[in-house]
Amino acid sequence: MSSNSSMAMQLIFPHSHSQKSFTPTPPEKGSFPLDHEGLCKKLMVKYMQCLRKNDNNNSECRKESQDYLGCRMDNNLMAKEEWNKLGF
Amino acid sequence: MSIRNCCSLFKHITTFKGSLSNKFHTSVRLNQLHNTSDKQSLKHKIRSTVYYVTAAGVLTVGLSYAAVPLYRMFCQAYSYGGTTSTGHDVSKVETMASVKNRPIRIKFNADIAASMRWNFKPQQHEITIIPGETALAFYTAKNPTDKPVTGISTYNVIPFEAGQYFNKIQCFCFEEQQLNPHEQVDMPVFFYIDPEFVEDPKMEFIEEIILSYTFFEAREGLKLPVPAFAR
Repeated sequence: MSSNSSMAMQLIFPHSHSQKSFTPTPPEKGSFPLDHEGLCKKLMVKYMQCLRKNDNNNSECRKESQDYLGCRMDNNLMAKEEWNKLGF
Repeated sequence: MSIRNCCSLFKHITTFKGSLSNKFHTSVRLNQLHNTSDKQSLKHKIRSTVYYVTAAGVLTVGLSYAAVPLYRMFCQAYSYGGTTSTGHDVSKVETMASVKNRPIRIKFNADIAASMRWNFKPQQHEITIIPGETALAFYTAKNPTDKPVTGISTYNVIPFEAGQYFNKIQCFCFEEQQLNPHEQVDMPVFFYIDPEFVEDPKMEFIEEIILSYTFFEAREGLKLPVPAFAR
């Protein structure tokens, strides 16, 4: 009985045995502290404007994202890291 | 019957262990043995057999308990079965090369649990990135209530198989975040897609990846599907 139903399941949902379930992984550097005072909000808005201008293409807006992260680092909202370690 | 016949018959019987009728014969034969030293050595043999079998049973049970953490360690060390290694190199970010001819659209989705009172949405619907290039994305959360609310989030990547190439350098998930009354904050996610993504044949037709964050209200005893190594 169970073998019949499992065979039927394999017809309806093929590859169900090989499907890997997604495991969320923690971020490498942990969590960003919240920017309660909005210290870097202006730079975030600049980044958003750049994205809208460039059709949401991240490659064109690297400078703005670097500025935002720099603001975070300056205001103690992010651990200081060298730029090449962050992929810039 | 003579004792010798008894003993030889008994030897034949003991070779078939685990049979109930034989056990019965064993005990019957045991009682019929008149030679006490034979009886002693026989008892000794039976006892040591029982010890060996018990030890084997305990070993099996112990192994099955130990298998869980051992298997997890093995999977993480060799990235087997879709798990990604926890010791993800920061140095990889320095040395990875971006793949310019493979743009991927990342779409953003924001969800809240039914009882969560924040307003949570992504600032951008989608971003086009290339593997190997770090990217920044924003979500906004607002607490419209008059009380501070603490939230904790988890995320999901669809398609599942692409999740192993999705590396977050920093985000706002898995840790409790408190929002004061009527406060609005920007929540950035800093991530990249592993350049090895382009070499995976299963990823050949994937042009779109959806990143979905869900916020839950942090309460005592709330159990998120958080991996053990994130705690």
